[in-house]
Amino acid sequence: MTRRSWLRSTRLALEVRQRIPPLHRAAFILGALIVGLAICVAILVGRGVGLASIYEEFIAFTFFKASGVSTVIVQSTPLVLAGLSASLAFRVNYWNIGIEGQLFMGVIGATLVAIFDVGPESIRLVLMLVAAIVLGAAWALPPALLKVRLNVSEVISTLLFSYIAFYFVLNQVYGPWQDPKDKFPHSEQYDAIERLPPIGWEQVHYGIVVALAAVAVVWWLVERSRFGIQSRFVGTSPRMALAIGLPVGAIVASSAVLSGGMAGAAGFVIATATEFRLTPAMAAGYGFSGIVIAFLAGNRPFATLIVACLMGGLYVAGESMKVFYSLPDALVGLIQAIVVLSVTASEFFVRYRLRLAHYRGA
Amino acid sequence: MNAALELQGVHKSFDGNPALVDAFFSAAWGEVHALLGENGAGKSSLMNMVCGLYAPDTGSIKIDGRAVTVDGPLAARGLGVGMVHQHFKLVATMSVAENILLGHGKGGWRRSLRSVRGEIAGIGARIGFTIDPDARIDTLSVSEQQRVEIIKAMIGGAKILILDEPTAVLTDDESAGLLTQLRLFAQSGACIVLITHKLREVFSHADRVTVMRGGQTVDAGRKPSDFTPEKLSALMVGEARVYQIGEHLPPGQVRLELKQLSARRDNGAVALDRLNLQLRGGQVYGLAGVGGNGQAELAEVLMGIRAPKSGVLELEGGPVPPASSGRLRRHGVAHVPAERYLYGLAGDLTVMENFVITHLKDGRFGAWGWTDRRAFERETDAAIAAHNIQGARAATRARLLSGGNAQKLVLARELSGEPGVLVAHSPTRGLDVRACAAVHRALREASRAGTAVLLISEDLDEVLSVADRIGVINRGRIVREYDAPADRQEIGRFMVGHA
Repeated sequence: MTRRSWLRSTRLALEVRQRIPPLHRAAFILGALIVGLAICVAILVGRGVGLASIYEEFIAFTFFKASGVSTVIVQSTPLVLAGLSASLAFRVNYWNIGIEGQLFMGVIGATLVAIFDVGPESIRLVLMLVAAIVLGAAWALPPALLKVRLNVSEVISTLLFSYIAFYFVLNQVYGPWQDPKDKFPHSEQYDAIERLPPIGWEQVHYGIVVALAAVAVVWWLVERSRFGIQSRFVGTSPRMALAIGLPVGAIVASSAVLSGGMAGAAGFVIATATEFRLTPAMAAGYGFSGIVIAFLAGNRPFATLIVACLMGGLYVAGESMKVFYSLPDALVGLIQAIVVLSVTASEFFVRYRLRLAHYRGA
Repeated sequence: MNAALELQGVHKSFDGNPALVDAFFSAAWGEVHALLGENGAGKSSLMNMVCGLYAPDTGSIKIDGRAVTVDGPLAARGLGVGMVHQHFKLVATMSVAENILLGHGKGGWRRSLRSVRGEIAGIGARIGFTIDPDARIDTLSVSEQQRVEIIKAMIGGAKILILDEPTAVLTDDESAGLLTQLRLFAQSGACIVLITHKLREVFSHADRVTVMRGGQTVDAGRKPSDFTPEKLSALMVGEARVYQIGEHLPPGQVRLELKQLSARRDNGAVALDRLNLQLRGGQVYGLAGVGGNGQAELAEVLMGIRAPKSGVLELEGGPVPPASSGRLRRHGVAHVPAERYLYGLAGDLTVMENFVITHLKDGRFGAWGWTDRRAFERETDAAIAAHNIQGARAATRARLLSGGNAQKLVLARELSGEPGVLVAHSPTRGLDVRACAAVHRALREASRAGTAVLLISEDLDEVLSVADRIGVINRGRIVREYDAPADRQEIGRFMVGHA
């Protein structure tokens, strides 16, 4: 037998970890976060930003001052809903890429109620929320049925449905719903009664109640209802789910519809708390943010809440960077991407152990 | 003249379980040599040594009279050995020529696709295969894919070609065609080793035959014409050593009946051919047969995940619409599937979730809107204790269980609802002796409690020792039925289709 050199007989081996203790996972994610932030700090320092001001103006301002924290909460509220929306679909392996379209349809629903002054004023906001959820859910239904009945890829169909929703929005804001006051392509402003009221602390509004209620409902659905445990089987072992007689198609379709409804609720919060009208730019980015949040949170509702707040913090910190140092948009995006990527990459080290292996010949 | 391939004194054990004990084998140039034996007799293990997949614990391999070490598939190819496995090693989305180029490893990148196309045509002409080198693999039928595997081995320079159950996936016409072509290849000076359990093929197409049983070579290198079919099948299945457990009860009422049921495989070939079957309460029905004779499709039809082509499935006297897994389960049909982690357990979920999933609606576990987590844990812990599932807690991920304990978990769940019918497909495959005994005991106990148990197994000993009634399945039909105890030799002959 030939002798192998040391170099050839040693290699890096990946081993799947059999057990992953939660603390272990948390430690790796934290470590990755620190590495990612360190890279970001290095980039900022390279751009001439001082270390002390990085701490003061970004970290302290964003996370420790009341005005900063309240901005983060306002920023995070729709992100929580978008994240929940994505997680509801992803947990049954349904790749809902069309969250933005469903979000738009939610805004359309809310705006419809607002423009035509449907129902008494006392429950107008509730009606707007219901309309937003129903329209968002309805927009998610056709791709879900196509998937379940005809096995049409939902990645394509939900994405294309997003485009349809977007052009429908353009049609409305350049057509029948165009603001008669300023002739800009957006709808008329909502009346005061059609806006989410502030809760009385800084700028925080009642959207936070909607988001927290949504977290509670999703927790109940996935952790306590029969549907939750069944959908877990559909998501992880679809062929087994079919073999033991679970209604796989119905579970996938209803998860997709719930996801759409949740996206609609996100649209409601953006429309009634931030924009006060339908605009063609209001959904931009929420779909992909929702996907990233759901992925980082492992589709768990409380983790979704936390991750969404961290993402909100990143946005707010990014905005203040632009203001204080007039850093370009691209650099802000780069920093956000580095943080998200490093946390995502930590999943690899959570799952696998890297080890030097010595190859022994037969 | 040297023997083409010679193995002597080969021992091999896996995890302390001996798979080959002093096995030997010898085949000459220019012949088709059949290697005959039941499933698990050690045929594939022995040949996997020659193509470099396993290394023998002890023993020698000689090719053309020269002692060799085969330390990998590349080395085997260098020695002129090619093997066509039961599961083809082809990339479905690439063309025939690309797959063959890919299979060439060292230096393969230098050959242009054009020259590979030329070689495919050349070999095709030599042995009468026609295959389009630019066809994508997933557009080819199973028999065409097999041809690609054979051509791949031959372009790789194989002078010794080993085929593992090549006709298991083919129709009769395709089988005859393939065996004739292999014969031509042998006559051109090559050596063909045909791993099989079909006596018919041995008599019609082999020059010589070696028989293996239980990891040992029991008869080597004689001409098929030296045997009668009875003698050869007796060598293959061995002497009777039936140990029946428990006594037989008078059979109860018919719980499940299949009438003239036909079904096809995914590739369109006939899997079940107007099969009739009655399962009675209080009885273990053992379905014996060599793998690939329709057992998997039968289990899938009974699970409700394969729609039959024609025929009727009746449950407690009433017909059930085809492919309705939910309805079958609601009517009390439980399953111990052969592919445990595909159909039986969700490996990434917990023992608790896997235990309760089929019982959520039976009242023990709370309402639709609020499942009772305490009841989940209580009942799971009780089942773990009752079935002696070792290494399991309610929160353990199911994939971490050993084979035997995973199977006990499946049994615990499936028997927990006191099912009317239990279908167990190869329930002891890969389990150790103690786990096997526990599974057999559970099946017997379920049947004594009134369940109609169908035990589908490729292990004749298992069927003989557990079943009250025995059916033999061959090419999608039940060709014979017996009340236990039955004659092992006779069953063996019907299993291999030669009686």
